[in-house]
Amino acid sequence: MPRQIRLPSVFRNTPFRLTLLFLALFAAAASAFLAYIYGVTAGEVSRRADGEISREIQSLLGTYRQAGMDGLNLALIERTGDGRAFVYLLSDKTGKRMTGTLAVSPVDLDQGPKAGDQVSASFKLTQTDPDGTVIKSAARGQQIRLANGATLFVGLDIGAGESFVLKIVRAIWGAGALVILLGLAGGLVVSGNVSRAMARLNQVVTEVQGGNLRVRIPLRGVRDEFDELAAGMNDMLDRLERSIGGLRHVGDAIAHDLRSPLTRLRTRLELALIDVENGKGDAEAALVQALEDADGVLSTFNTVLAIARLQSAGEAPDQSLFDAGDLTAKIAELYAPLCEDRDIDFQFEATPYLRVKGNQEFIAQALANLLDNAVKYTPSGGAIMLRLRRRASGEVEFSVTDTGPGVPPQDRERVVQRFVRLENSRSLPGAGLGLSLVAAVAQAHEGRLDLDEGPGEINGQGPGLRVAFVLPRAV
Amino acid sequence: MKILIVEDDLEAAAAMVRGLGEAGLICVHAADGVLGLDAARDGGFDVLVVDRMMPNMDGLSMVEALRQAGDQTPVLFLSALGEIDDRVAGLKAGGDDYLVKPYAFVELSARIEALGRRRDSGGMQTLIKVGDLEMDLISRMVRRQTQEIDLQPREFQLLEYLMRHAGQSVTRTMLLEKVWEYHFDPQTNVIDVHISRLRAKIDKGFDRPMLQTVRGAGYRLDA
Repeated sequence: MPRQIRLPSVFRNTPFRLTLLFLALFAAAASAFLAYIYGVTAGEVSRRADGEISREIQSLLGTYRQAGMDGLNLALIERTGDGRAFVYLLSDKTGKRMTGTLAVSPVDLDQGPKAGDQVSASFKLTQTDPDGTVIKSAARGQQIRLANGATLFVGLDIGAGESFVLKIVRAIWGAGALVILLGLAGGLVVSGNVSRAMARLNQVVTEVQGGNLRVRIPLRGVRDEFDELAAGMNDMLDRLERSIGGLRHVGDAIAHDLRSPLTRLRTRLELALIDVENGKGDAEAALVQALEDADGVLSTFNTVLAIARLQSAGEAPDQSLFDAGDLTAKIAELYAPLCEDRDIDFQFEATPYLRVKGNQEFIAQALANLLDNAVKYTPSGGAIMLRLRRRASGEVEFSVTDTGPGVPPQDRERVVQRFVRLENSRSLPGAGLGLSLVAAVAQAHEGRLDLDEGPGEINGQGPGLRVAFVLPRAV
Repeated sequence: MKILIVEDDLEAAAAMVRGLGEAGLICVHAADGVLGLDAARDGGFDVLVVDRMMPNMDGLSMVEALRQAGDQTPVLFLSALGEIDDRVAGLKAGGDDYLVKPYAFVELSARIEALGRRRDSGGMQTLIKVGDLEMDLISRMVRRQTQEIDLQPREFQLLEYLMRHAGQSVTRTMLLEKVWEYHFDPQTNVIDVHISRLRAKIDKGFDRPMLQTVRGAGYRLDA
């Protein structure tokens, strides 16, 4: 896939982007917080200074009212000497400096022309230390116009308070920068971890796209969501591999298993034709046989198709809740006379009131297939038992036990596969699809098919076979 | 009996017309759903045999249209779609029976015959009589001549179906479908065994057997 913009790989990494996003949000929140703190504290410092300045001005105005301009002048001279923090400037109505610690007023002297007018200002106070260094610091001041038109300016150095606030702000900025750095580093580490986990997944996906269905994602064993996803993908790949393998097998199997009866059918028709042309042979018998062969081919084909459909659907269609006992009893009733006819002892046992969710038709067919098999392989004088019960695990088990020759343990997994027929069964009718269909039905109900030991040797028969069709917990 | 065959596969249709004609049925063929609907509306048919997948109008729509117009002629669907839900869809659309392709010809003719005769024996019958065999559907008693016959519930259903279709061939598949309601074919001769039990009960001790085996097809109950 061509892409127009390629960011450095770390920026295309989702966890890292998330980290950046969170850091940006954090920085914005921290800035807002700082601005608020600054506004509140810096404002408080100014307000306090303004209050002190107002009180000082009131006291000086008192002196002015009692002692006039000269008294005020005297008071100012006195105050500049006693080490107060205030700075003063008294100018006459022409703006000429009369007395005070300031050379020039930070406020325009023309402002507030009427007597009693008051002007506030922030300004920079320049002071020279005894050792000669010049210090500029923030200050607040107020200027008031006196009754005679002169102006009095009183200022207060707030540099100390201000610099304290600035220190706090700097500390918070520093801490913020540290947090952002740590956050970035953490984000890189986390996104690196996630990237590696994703890379493992992606690598497997790429390989699967390339057609290799055998790859699996190694689990880290930490049981996190990546392991969960990996396990899910592995499970999905297992199923995919099985069903694709199954399809391939069906294709091969249909080709193999339909080819021989079709060839047989063709040969028989050809021979019959030759015989009829030569005026001998039983044309009708040949046709009857050919029809039977054709039916056999069709039924094989239908069963293979049914299995393939069940497997590809994943879940059996038309599922409903039903009483497993009723279904089993009906099948038992269908097969009991057949067993009796063949001198096979048929027993049926069912736990009542077992409800199951599933496709009744398919489950009935599965049981019929199991009973067909049992009847086919059990010699007369033997016994077959159909049993329905709830396992201790809650699963519902339909089982068919017979006293036939059984299936050796090493072959039990194999006989469930399509078209697999054991040596001793080749002479009997059937295409080797019965158990495969039962297994497909079980799987389509999230159940399974278990092949077990039969009852063992009984009256020269046996060891028999027990086939259990197990469905998940009854509802 | 007059049959309308609605089928777009001309070869299959020709084979049906020939085979059913030889069995004594009068067949009319329509090559798609629209033609089929027209022919069916003209009426006079005892059974409609309708393919599900056809050009112009598919079988389901055709039968739905007929049923909406109040036409109750029995319909047998033919289909290559054999899944359970396909069958259910066919019956919901107003079909009376459903046969999956490819089918045996005896199966087709037996089902057509069963559908064609069904109308005659409709209504609320409480007593079915075939020759000297009598079945009381209310008391669930079966009697041949004067002898009472004791039947299991399933045997009773089996005999009821055979009596309702007396004189017609019914296949093993039909019995399994209509009496047991199973739509699969067992690999063993389960139906034959049930029939032979029933036969032992109704024919044993009488000089004339009623329950006949029809070679290559199934069974028939004769009066």
